Amino acid sequence: MRSIDIHAHLMPHCMLETLYRGESWHGVTGRRNADGQLIYGLGELTQPLTPAFGWNTEQRLADMNSLGVDVHVVSTFVGYYTFPSTDDAVAACREANEEVAGMMREHPDRFSGFCTLPMQDINAAVAELERGVRDLGLKGAMIGDHVNGVTYDDPSFMPLWKAAESLGAAIFIHQVGDTVVTPRSDRYHLPNSIGNLADRAITFASFVFGGVMDACPDLKVVLAHGGGYTCFGIGRMDRGWQVRREARVNIQQPPSAYLNKFYYDCLTHSEAALRYLIDTVGVDRIVFGTDWPADMAIDWPVSWVLRQESLTTEEKEAILWKNSERLLNL
Amino acid sequence: MRTIDIHAHISPEGMVSAISEGRDWHGISSAEMLPIHEYTPRTMWTPEQRLKEMDEFGVDVHVLSTNSFFYFYERDAGAITAMARECNDYVSQLTKDHPDRFAGFATLPMQDVSASVAELERGMQTLGLKGAMIGDHVNGVTFDDPSFLPLWKAAEASGAVIFIHQGGDTVVSPRSDNYHLPNTIGNLADRAVTFASFVFGGVMDACPGLKVCLSHGGGYTCFGAGRMDRGWQVRSEARVNIQHPPSRYLDRFWYDCLTHSEDALRMLIDSVGIDRVVFGTDWPFDMAIDEPVSWVRNMTKLTDAEKDAILGGNIETLLGLS
Repeated sequence: MRSIDIHAHLMPHCMLETLYRGESWHGVTGRRNADGQLIYGLGELTQPLTPAFGWNTEQRLADMNSLGVDVHVVSTFVGYYTFPSTDDAVAACREANEEVAGMMREHPDRFSGFCTLPMQDINAAVAELERGVRDLGLKGAMIGDHVNGVTYDDPSFMPLWKAAESLGAAIFIHQVGDTVVTPRSDRYHLPNSIGNLADRAITFASFVFGGVMDACPDLKVVLAHGGGYTCFGIGRMDRGWQVRREARVNIQQPPSAYLNKFYYDCLTHSEAALRYLIDTVGVDRIVFGTDWPADMAIDWPVSWVLRQESLTTEEKEAILWKNSERLLNL
Repeated sequence: MRTIDIHAHISPEGMVSAISEGRDWHGISSAEMLPIHEYTPRTMWTPEQRLKEMDEFGVDVHVLSTNSFFYFYERDAGAITAMARECNDYVSQLTKDHPDRFAGFATLPMQDVSASVAELERGMQTLGLKGAMIGDHVNGVTFDDPSFLPLWKAAEASGAVIFIHQGGDTVVSPRSDNYHLPNTIGNLADRAVTFASFVFGGVMDACPGLKVCLSHGGGYTCFGAGRMDRGWQVRSEARVNIQHPPSRYLDRFWYDCLTHSEDALRMLIDSVGIDRVVFGTDWPFDMAIDEPVSWVRNMTKLTDAEKDAILGGNIETLLGLS
């Protein structure tokens, strides 16, 4: 049994090494605190580097071996489009994407990868996606749930969806920064533990109600964190479509008809929720994703899937590797 | 057995008269009140028209709550306290005129906790109401804020049910106000944040007898409890007030059945326990369940005993109706 983790992050070493030298990386700065830990970020927005995010490739491979994970589909930080300078963002994305491509060249049986894109400039984002997929061999791109507050039903993004569709590139959706919950409550880790899942449902809805999935029938969108609340909350979205004309402006079918047009990772932190997801969207749409190496990742993720009593062996194989292999042409 | 709808709204007669006469009502202009009531004409129906439709649907009892439109937590506390008193007097009178058809929840001037405590006590002791319906937050302040504790203590002492229902914008509104998403996603996200505020904030530990009922099936709460548990496990800020993971508190709340999905309702039952799920329809709004008793009765994944518990038995226990 193989396993391909589609949700595995990388803090680019090119960035870390630059920061460790005390230099700025395309506007990102860093300093070491009293404990020697790197504090990095843009301007006032800083965060500490947790140890596993600083690991090198050999340490990553050793941990993958320990966890029984064969392949990481590596994705770097998605927040470059919050950079004040588009030029910095474009340069940062290019450098990060080249690093991922390098990892894939050195370890073709262990790494695949997603681009990161300078989403604040849609033309630059299209160009970098094309370069990443055609020249670098990446499999798609990871992007946030919105770009500086603009959701993906905005027509300005259409050239990117069309480019992804014609390239066969997967678009992997993952929040960055504040979520919709943050202004209501920033306590108890709720902006993450509730907010990520709410953001993902809004993104599903933006693609569907906005008509993007109709305009781009072959677009491959993967929703991280199991698609968040999408599958559980679909009944109420359908009801909204039924009774409100503003929900029917772009689509002729209820949103539930689109559930099986998306892909979803298995990061639900609940067997009952994963079972519900499978039963709602179809097992062929669910891929293995762990959020390595974040604290909200699945511990021992392969065994987490394997020990689930409510899944058949065929379903576990589909999730752990078969679906990703097909989705990404690995 | 009786079918009892815990999620059934009403606009007070005094407000309906004010609209028809073009008058202000407790500082609220008729121009403000008109759109929601024009969009949903049933909000202006007489009690007799309501009873006729209840008969058609096979609903025996409405637990009446004033429309969330009337929260007005951002306005002058004195004016809204007076408005709440009129709303609650009206609902109380209906429960006395039709004791076998109506029970009621108070609305509270939540911008003034002391006034809310007083009005809840008046509602319970003098008016015969069963609790209160309140929003998911008060002007952005969530219910883990210590300022609200006197209200929870008062509700606990009187046995009042606190029924949670959004009002106005939800957390989704700033991100997208298209496609009705502030309601269809936002209501459910707001409810999960409110569950979390009560639990992570330590309110449920401080008030072990507090009865909180989350409308819209508790929103995303039951489905998303696994990730809340993970947050509690790995983040010290999530463990400041509670010694158990949040999923441990799921069966401390009640939830209405307003999921618009049989599968979601089944998952809710399996997550929180059948004794915690009550019948709630959101009458008379467009997002309500159509033909709600048949909707429950026709489900194939629920047993007859579960349907009976949801449609009436659990609410009789929760509200002390008999």
